[in-house]
Amino acid sequence: MVLRQVGGKTGFDLADVLAPSAIVPGPRRRLSRSRQVAIGVLFPLLVVAAWTILSASGAIPEQRLPPPVDVVRSARDFVVAPSRPPVPGVVPFRGAAGEHARASIGRWAEGYAIGLGVGLPLGLSLGLSKWISPALDPLFQAYRAVPITAWLPIALVWFGLGEGAARFLVFVGAVSPIVVATADSTSRVPRQLVDTARMLGTRQRDLARRVYLPAALPGIVTGLRLGLTLGWTSVIVAELTGTTRGLGAMMFSAREVSRLDQIIVGMAAFAIIGLVGDLLLRAVTRPLVRWADA
Amino acid sequence: MTEPTAPTVTGEPAGRTTSGDPLDATPGAGAATAGGAATAGRAGPALSATGVAKSYGSLAVLADVHLSVAAGEVVAVLGPSGCGKSTLLRVLAGLEPPDRGRVEVGAEVVRGPSPDRPMVVQGATLFPWLSLRANLEWGPRALGNPRAGAVADELLAATGLNGYADLLPRQLSGGMRQRAAIAQVLANQPPLLLLDEPFGSLDAQTRLRMQEWLIGLLAERRTATVLVTHDVEEALLIGHRLVRLSHRPASVLDEITLDLPSPKGRATLADPRFVELKATVLAQVLDA
Repeated sequence: MVLRQVGGKTGFDLADVLAPSAIVPGPRRRLSRSRQVAIGVLFPLLVVAAWTILSASGAIPEQRLPPPVDVVRSARDFVVAPSRPPVPGVVPFRGAAGEHARASIGRWAEGYAIGLGVGLPLGLSLGLSKWISPALDPLFQAYRAVPITAWLPIALVWFGLGEGAARFLVFVGAVSPIVVATADSTSRVPRQLVDTARMLGTRQRDLARRVYLPAALPGIVTGLRLGLTLGWTSVIVAELTGTTRGLGAMMFSAREVSRLDQIIVGMAAFAIIGLVGDLLLRAVTRPLVRWADA
Repeated sequence: MTEPTAPTVTGEPAGRTTSGDPLDATPGAGAATAGGAATAGRAGPALSATGVAKSYGSLAVLADVHLSVAAGEVVAVLGPSGCGKSTLLRVLAGLEPPDRGRVEVGAEVVRGPSPDRPMVVQGATLFPWLSLRANLEWGPRALGNPRAGAVADELLAATGLNGYADLLPRQLSGGMRQRAAIAQVLANQPPLLLLDEPFGSLDAQTRLRMQEWLIGLLAERRTATVLVTHDVEEALLIGHRLVRLSHRPASVLDEITLDLPSPKGRATLADPRFVELKATVLAQVLDA
């Protein structure tokens, strides 16, 4: 199997990046869990406090970065203020959080569903076949090297402005990690398991579903999570394609009138929804892969 | 080299030794002698392999292996590490085609894996995402046997694992897993069982318990078995007949009928006949 695994383990330790383990001998000293949590809460608060003070003192000009209190006020407007009647061609902000979030999440879900439908079977056949993999691998490596944004022009030509292009871009972002992780973990399924299934009378055509898929599932789930995250980042690119609804559309409209507070609210919404999506996916898949927990 | 020793060990005629002469090990002859000595089993050999050869590229692994197993007979195949024992078993199981020669199980020529001749290897081959019960039911279900649940119950009792049915394989001990792996393939009632160092990864005490369990199980079910091992004691304890393989590329050096008093178990280890056989076979192995 030539495909490289993406992700493997999600999340990384900053210390691993700053200090390669070859230089630091022995195990790293760790803080207790409660201290880690305390620092994790305190430090961001400290950053916000510094941001407040620097804004108030005029060290940070408002047109560069509005004070935190403005951002919070905008967030409240975005979420709870009564919405106004829609005006064609205008991207609403007040009270429009639900509307934009629904639009973005809808594109995300549809693009991701197509990515799943294509990525899982393609990854399985890549991992199972000794012919398909060498044939598709060079194309696939090239495809992975093209950033999502570079797909935008061709998406616009193929699908025009709007929903079609948006779904396509989310699909492009989500499908690649799903294919790679599925192909990689399928090709690593121990031969012993497959042999045992065959010697127990399992038919050849049932092996993919009954042996390869469940055995590869822990690795596949890693790809599903990465694909979900990449699909979500593609949403904002997708919402450049002339949509008037969606968090990305709201942020670009805010940029045109230099409302940085609204842009920051949009970024926060992206972070929160992305995180919740990942938590949901983990909750759904955990019972399926619990057997592989260390 | 070791040829003359076999008759003195077994007290059998020299014709039993098949080293160097493939004709001595034609399936009919092998089955007749083995069947007579070990089990008065059903007619016809459970397995007959003739002139099996296998190479991987330029590496010749099996030169010319002749092996015959009577119904219900347990044949222990002993050979030095890396001599091709495992390859031989994979060929017998139908997982690898032989380059030359022929393997027949029952009346059928082996062309692929089948539930009639399952193989169990060292380290468990249970499906890690399924409970013990679901693992035991896999075989009967795959064959559309409606009694899968009942079969699993019987096997849980036979392995002494009744209380563990709902656990995952990784929650079982090594010995339990190995028993379960053997039980898993026995669920389909195969006439022939192929075992590749099944207890190699277990500690000595657990291994002896497993060996006693296996001896009882095979006797009760009258399952013909080929047991591949490098452990002389294990070969003598479990086998009705011992087949010694040469260094790679493997061929059969000689065969010994193991005329030890039944039922075999831990007491057998102190039996004078066992001690004598063990010394002789060990000497042969070490001199080879």
